[in-house]
Amino acid sequence: MPTVDIDPDELRELTGREEKRDEELKEDLFGLGLEFEGRTEEGAFELEFAPDRLDRLSVEGVARSMRYQYGDARGVHVPSANSPEWTIVVDDSVPEERPYVTGVVVRDVDLDEESLESLIQLQEKLHATMGRKRAKGAIGIHDLTMLKGSAATEGNPTIEYVGVEPDGDRFVPLDSDAELTPGEVLEDHPTGRTYADLVSEYERYPAIYDDLGLFSFPPVINGRRTEVSTDSRDLFVEMTGTDQWTIDKMLNIVCYALAARGATLEEVTIEYADSESANADSNGSRTQSGGRELVRPDLSTKTKTVSHDRIETILGIDLDPDEVVDLAERSGLEAEKRDGGDDGDELVYEVTIPPYRVDVLHPLDVIDDLGRAYGFNDLEPKYPDVGTVGGRHERSRLERSVREQLVGLGFEDLLNFHMISEAENYDRVGISPDDDVFGAGEPATIKEPYSEDYTMLRTWVTPSLMMVLERNTHRAYPQDLAEIGVAAVLDDAENTGVDERRRVGAVLASHDAGYEDAKARLQALCRRFDVDLETPPTEHPTYIPGRTASVVVDGEEVGVIGEIHPKVLVEHDLEVPVAGFEFDLAALR
Amino acid sequence: MQLPESQVAVLEAASADEATSVDALARTTDLPPETVTGAAFELAEEGLVAIEERVDETISLTDEGTTYADEGLPEVRLYEAALEAGADDDPVSMGQVIGASGLEGPQVDIALSNYARKGYGSIDSGEITADPDADPGADAEANALETLSDTDDAPVDTVDVDAETLEQLDRRGLLERTESTVREVTLSELGVTELMAGIETAETIGQVTPDLLTSGEWEDVEFAEYNVEADAERVEGGRVHILRQTAERVKDVLVGMGFQEMEGPHVDADFWINDCLFMPQDHPARTHWDRFALEHPTHIDDLPDDLVERVERAHREGVGDDGEGYRSPWDEEFARALALRGHTTSLSARYLAGHEIGEIEPPARYFSVEKVYRNDTLDPTHLLEFFQIEGWVMAEDLSVRDLMGTFEEFYAQFGITDIEFKPHYNPYTEPSFELFGTHPTTGELVEIGNSGIFREEMLEPLGVECDVMAWGLALERLLMLMYGFEDIRDIHGTLCDLELLRETEVTY
Repeated sequence: MPTVDIDPDELRELTGREEKRDEELKEDLFGLGLEFEGRTEEGAFELEFAPDRLDRLSVEGVARSMRYQYGDARGVHVPSANSPEWTIVVDDSVPEERPYVTGVVVRDVDLDEESLESLIQLQEKLHATMGRKRAKGAIGIHDLTMLKGSAATEGNPTIEYVGVEPDGDRFVPLDSDAELTPGEVLEDHPTGRTYADLVSEYERYPAIYDDLGLFSFPPVINGRRTEVSTDSRDLFVEMTGTDQWTIDKMLNIVCYALAARGATLEEVTIEYADSESANADSNGSRTQSGGRELVRPDLSTKTKTVSHDRIETILGIDLDPDEVVDLAERSGLEAEKRDGGDDGDELVYEVTIPPYRVDVLHPLDVIDDLGRAYGFNDLEPKYPDVGTVGGRHERSRLERSVREQLVGLGFEDLLNFHMISEAENYDRVGISPDDDVFGAGEPATIKEPYSEDYTMLRTWVTPSLMMVLERNTHRAYPQDLAEIGVAAVLDDAENTGVDERRRVGAVLASHDAGYEDAKARLQALCRRFDVDLETPPTEHPTYIPGRTASVVVDGEEVGVIGEIHPKVLVEHDLEVPVAGFEFDLAALR
Repeated sequence: MQLPESQVAVLEAASADEATSVDALARTTDLPPETVTGAAFELAEEGLVAIEERVDETISLTDEGTTYADEGLPEVRLYEAALEAGADDDPVSMGQVIGASGLEGPQVDIALSNYARKGYGSIDSGEITADPDADPGADAEANALETLSDTDDAPVDTVDVDAETLEQLDRRGLLERTESTVREVTLSELGVTELMAGIETAETIGQVTPDLLTSGEWEDVEFAEYNVEADAERVEGGRVHILRQTAERVKDVLVGMGFQEMEGPHVDADFWINDCLFMPQDHPARTHWDRFALEHPTHIDDLPDDLVERVERAHREGVGDDGEGYRSPWDEEFARALALRGHTTSLSARYLAGHEIGEIEPPARYFSVEKVYRNDTLDPTHLLEFFQIEGWVMAEDLSVRDLMGTFEEFYAQFGITDIEFKPHYNPYTEPSFELFGTHPTTGELVEIGNSGIFREEMLEPLGVECDVMAWGLALERLLMLMYGFEDIRDIHGTLCDLELLRETEVTY
């Protein structure tokens, strides 16, 4: 889950609640679903929260939500934006994998160390969440005064989003003194190396130019020329990505955060060169060149129609319509009563959603907001008044019964991991995957295992039991262990390609354990489940020759029984004989 | 007169002239001391012997004391290291001396706290000096340790160490004082008289045999007495694994609440694990390293075509007049990729889709307690595979209050009350809640589950037309709450400790 660092002093200042003590703030934050995890070295709150309300990734956003919670703000607020002066022209050469761009100009920013840090944090957190580690959307923030727009169109300053050959140009990236080509950045610059995978497959790399040249290499790194500092007064924010909606929403969240600090927003015109790359859902208009023109940020609101009845059934309470409207306003929404439905007598609300919200996909999401504003913990729990009949799965009943019998026969019931290593599953018990013996077979393997100890699903249970014996040689004997658990082998006949089945495995380890002890218990088990047991001799590398048999239940070969071979015992550091068996649980059905 | 065999032996071994200790009698009669004591009390009851008791104090070194007797007292070792480092001339850094002394852990503090007290030198602002005149050879405590190291349970008055030094060693936890009761037996006059008259040994029987029973001889015999207080040999016997027991208890509770059990594949297509749950394909949890994708096999053979189509539409366009989809890519091939399931909600998806047991009509309650797999860091509270309790209720018009009521009932069965519902976010439920409960013993607020009402974007493609509320919880978490275990790895998996599994208290 994402975390965000919030300076409590800034929070007090931005909410205008100077009197709140840290402890009260923590409680109020918890009410918003922001959990206090600890403090940073600088004393800021480290807050953990669920990744839906990405508009709360900054102190400004958290403060806004708290003002709604306190009742200091109500309804939907949309900051105003001045008409566009700057234009971003998207060139035909832009890599087709990353065709979209958006942006805003922000004027009269008053950045101190804290607010600059907060802005950078917001940028990073948006990258990590909505931006999918910059793959889907990446943000570049620049000092506008360092940009020189080429006055190509009607006297307005223009910058260009283009594609550039990996060694097609040079610029000085952030945290560097040398002029590098984009290709060199990916190889030689630490940030470049981190994000190289995002673009290295591209034929041309994304690049943004002003009249002076390349100043941003999204999604990798900005140029040093336009670096933002506490002296910056006017900012140029650009975002590129694989989806227009996503970067527009990221932009809105940044706009709201900067506007909350008193900055003035100024729109930017985006001109897409061809219609093909701009076929996203959007409200752009056609330009003369046949491309499409957007004006950003898009601070328009949207609406959801929410049924009063649905609100009441989900929350389980009766609500007065005025109360619903009030709850909506306290959530930073606006609700207007309407008669809806086919016959027009069903009460519905047109609910306005502010442009910084990215999580409202469905009317249910609005109901959740209303519930939070009402206070879910104020609802009285009730047991649902519907009758159903409970019961266990047949396999689960069988498993429980077999386990009870095993325990009655003196076995200690075990529970081991299904994941194991090739070495434990095959080598250390003396078999290989292609042996034609019980327990062998091709394994289902894991692509990126946690460690070399857990690379595959076990094909049988006995190796796990041997590992437990190995681990417990210092504990009292006899150690009579049994496990009913999953084993799996590849099988083309299965839809998943994997045959998963429950196995009954057992080992008896003591100074005088032998084949007969194992057989006696297996016989008892089979008697109790009224199945016919035969044990014709067989050969199996895990067991001593001449003391090994197939387990044949009702005429079908389902397992193996025998005395474990000394080479396997020695391999597991055991100094006592071990006898055991393993067979398919289903054989006892 | 007739007496049991052990009493005869004790009577014959005792003397009228001097008191004989029980231990001495045990050696003479070759009987266990507890048998001798028992016999002596019986004889005393008859007036044949007299018993005198006195309390002896013995001392012996503790493990720590024995260690110091071998290796030297920590302060002496520190002094020797200090001398070596030249601290008798100039102060030397403490760290350097401690390093050279080889002292570790708590021994360092012990050395420092006794160093100055015993005049070996002084310690000031991280530097140590050594008094050149101190003589470890004259250290009374060290010498006492050496004296005591050869003796075990020595009576305190036989040890050549002064009381003050003993007191000091006791305070330092280096020796252990034990008080034991010594009983001595003397023949009484009556005893002597009876012995002179001659005493017969009553015949006693060790084992009840078939012969004894069928012959009727059992009516005339006396049974040899056992020491019924002594510990018997230890047996283990079988028992159900403690985590299985917990799972069984959960299943019992849920069945009692009207839930039916589900089951299904551990290796499953992402489609069932994630896509059916309205998890966007570029959701961090799906590309994240905490998922165990399979290397082989890689993809499921078949998915139900119509369901795939409906799920894709929900992802792209949303559900309902006012719904919106995700602005994320959706690819069937990606959905067909196989992985070890990260949650058993894949089973819920399969059942709700009618894929497992046909269409399910409301009202219905279903559950499973099955394994899930997450590539998380392995530590005392996290395993790569663990059990998830999964449950859902399907009915018309379920509310958040129904959800709260269901969970309150469930957790109350495990002694967890005062549940708090923290509003939360989950891609496939809305509203969603994290459940917090008060730990039954420590009283702290701990997370005990995740819950919510399934989104319409999940239910509509699955063909469900009413409400479904669901929750999930790690079984291991419940286990640790109930038993207070500190490291789950001791319990679950091949690193388990049989002793712990054998000794864990039974709960019900």
